[in-house]
Amino acid sequence: MRIEARGLTKRYGDVVALDDVSAQLTEGRITALLGENGAGKSTLLRLLAGLSAPTSGELVLDGVARARVSPAEARRLGIGVVHQHFSLVPSFDGLKNLMLGDEPVGPLGVLRPGALLARAERVMRDVGLEVDLGLPAEALSVGERQRLEILRVLVRGATTLLFDEPTATQTRAEAARLYAVMRRLADDGATVAVVTHHLDEVSAHADEVVVLRRGARVFAGEARGLTTDELARLALGAAPPPVSRPPPPVDAPVVLALDALGAGRLVDVSLEVRRGEIVGVAGVDGNGQDELVELIAGLAAPARGRLSLDGAPLDGLDVAARRSRGLGVVHGDRHALGIVAGASVHDNLVLGELGGDEAARARQRLVASGASPARLDVPISALSGGNQQKVVLARALGRPLRALVVAHPTRGVDAAAAAALRARLAEVALAGCAVLLVSADLAELRALSHRLVVLCRGRVTAALPPDVDEAELGRAMLGGAAA
Amino acid sequence: MTLVTRHARPVIAAALVLTLFNLLVFAAGEAPWRALVTGLEGSLGTAYGLGQVLYKATSLAIAGAAFQVAYRAGLFNVGIEGQIALAALAAGVVGARLGWAPAWIAVPVAGGAAVGVAAGWAALAGWLRVRFGAHEVITTILQNRLADALLPLALAHGLGETGVRTRDVAASAAIPRLSVLSHALAGSAASFAVLLALVTPWLIDRWERRAKVGREVGLVGLGPEACRAAGVPVSSRLLVALTLSGAVAGLTACGAVLGYKGHYELGMTTGVGFAGIAVGLLGRGTPLGLLAAALLVGALQQTGLVLNATVPKEATDVLFGAVILAVATTGRREVTR
Repeated sequence: MRIEARGLTKRYGDVVALDDVSAQLTEGRITALLGENGAGKSTLLRLLAGLSAPTSGELVLDGVARARVSPAEARRLGIGVVHQHFSLVPSFDGLKNLMLGDEPVGPLGVLRPGALLARAERVMRDVGLEVDLGLPAEALSVGERQRLEILRVLVRGATTLLFDEPTATQTRAEAARLYAVMRRLADDGATVAVVTHHLDEVSAHADEVVVLRRGARVFAGEARGLTTDELARLALGAAPPPVSRPPPPVDAPVVLALDALGAGRLVDVSLEVRRGEIVGVAGVDGNGQDELVELIAGLAAPARGRLSLDGAPLDGLDVAARRSRGLGVVHGDRHALGIVAGASVHDNLVLGELGGDEAARARQRLVASGASPARLDVPISALSGGNQQKVVLARALGRPLRALVVAHPTRGVDAAAAAALRARLAEVALAGCAVLLVSADLAELRALSHRLVVLCRGRVTAALPPDVDEAELGRAMLGGAAA
Repeated sequence: MTLVTRHARPVIAAALVLTLFNLLVFAAGEAPWRALVTGLEGSLGTAYGLGQVLYKATSLAIAGAAFQVAYRAGLFNVGIEGQIALAALAAGVVGARLGWAPAWIAVPVAGGAAVGVAAGWAALAGWLRVRFGAHEVITTILQNRLADALLPLALAHGLGETGVRTRDVAASAAIPRLSVLSHALAGSAASFAVLLALVTPWLIDRWERRAKVGREVGLVGLGPEACRAAGVPVSSRLLVALTLSGAVAGLTACGAVLGYKGHYELGMTTGVGFAGIAVGLLGRGTPLGLLAAALLVGALQQTGLVLNATVPKEATDVLFGAVILAVATTGRREVTR
């Protein structure tokens, strides 16, 4: 189906999320909606899917203009959304998840999954989606769960598929596989739109691109022939300056030392981070990174091994005590461990350190964070992901630090904010802080780190220089494992 | 939702509740509108009725504040009912033994006993929660049953004058009635404990906004995991919240035992804790909202008593439920993702 947006505007209170945006989605083509966090991409997608109503403007669906489309109508018209956060029941198997909310029932309300299963298998064959429908959703990998979501939308007869940041937490290979599925759908005549902030995906996979900046459309047209540099200039206005790694420290003392540390999945990890040094921890997600950060932070107790800061043991100290020794931690799961979503920016900036000269500290940290809007009284949930992360980092950096542990600092963060966050990390190291950087973003690790260690199946399996060949790094990360 | 329908909703809700009430009255064989007027005259139209409403609202506002303290921390204290009952027993038992003391000692000591017992009782649930992860809804419900069994046991074995009540509290431990201000209030149960209902929600609100621990309690309620990661002592804050919730519940006993009856008897506080939960939810987290909700529920209860001769009191219970539903639905904000 052909969808045209005419002059869509969406206001939330006095915030203009989308300002007079026109765009069109065509059958058989993949349209990318590109922009930084907070540019209005997801808002546009929600309006297109009838999930929220525009403040003004209209949608033209197959030539019929409408001021608003209800979610039910959108579904009847074959518009399906694959959300960024999945809506699967973890304990249900694939088939049950497909049925949920749209159960095929016989005369007496008895479930009749047979026909649905046949339809699902046909769709999987046609489109080339592979999902084991017999396994519970919780046993599936992130990529498989996403394919299940797509399958659910397709089985319900969607011919227009809207993807909301489907590749935000995916590796490049997974993303390529997803785009292959999108291409097959488009070749069969489906209308496909995908929200992303990855420039390379747009130039590699999209037919058309709509670029948004601060709620306004700055470009719409053919994606072919646009380089990532040109896209970056369109999306960001100006290209962010490249991050330069601080010079490596010479003869610096060891600040953070892990000696055969182990707990759960983590086996005997020994590491040393020196003053002013950035050590990158590379690895495929789920190889012990979260456990490592939690052990150092003091959220979990190690089963074995020792941990010390400036030569003094940290064992047995709680989070607050470690902080007062000069340890800063930024967790990878921003939503669960980084911010209190219902609280203000002010409270989030001083979480765990209330009282004293709190107001002054909060103001100081806000300025240092570079978060926008630069206001203390707004709820942090009103900020984009990148700005929330700036707040979290500013809290960790808000006191004198000896060592900083950061996990996935730029995950789900747009390019401009990511560049700012990386520059902050480089500054901190230059000022003498020992930095342990855990990341799944190899480019980030290579740009910032002085040396890399690879974590695989809970062990440090390799120590490499940052300019190591990417293929070699990849081999080390997989560690010859079947995963 | 348009502006018109948004503002029309409370009006529609009120109209529906009134209609329901009139139908119930009609079903009971009374003239609908007349019964309403009689009920309102008896609760809000006379000084005595107003005094009774104030007495009920006093307990309800304090019990509602108790609920809110825990609710802020993400805890659902269903045990307020039992906490109040044990506190009332403590106030009666201790108050009766204070004949030697002047009022400025006797009232705080008897009240303090009530507060301490209720706080300890609630702290037990808090400890079970942070030490073993036992959910406070389950433990406080069980504690309510336990209190139901403990009270007659305690009265029968040494703490009671008879098996169902304590001795009268010392004159010095009694909180003066409001009737000392005006003869119109003569015979009404309202006492100076009403000041507690005015001050308590306000003090708690200040504590939650200004004090370090109070603010951390609220933050823990919003995001316990992030708080733990940021070094906030989450277990201790949960324990504080549930203990304080119990302590405030204990204050409720002051109005009933020290301000009105002058002793504790079995069943005296029945229902106050549960109605307090409703008041706490209706109050929407502000002191003024809490007082308004307490007055509303208090007036409803008094209206029920006034009409009891002709219309069964249960009719007002139905009405109470309808009001809660109406307020809950009209106050619902448009859901945006």
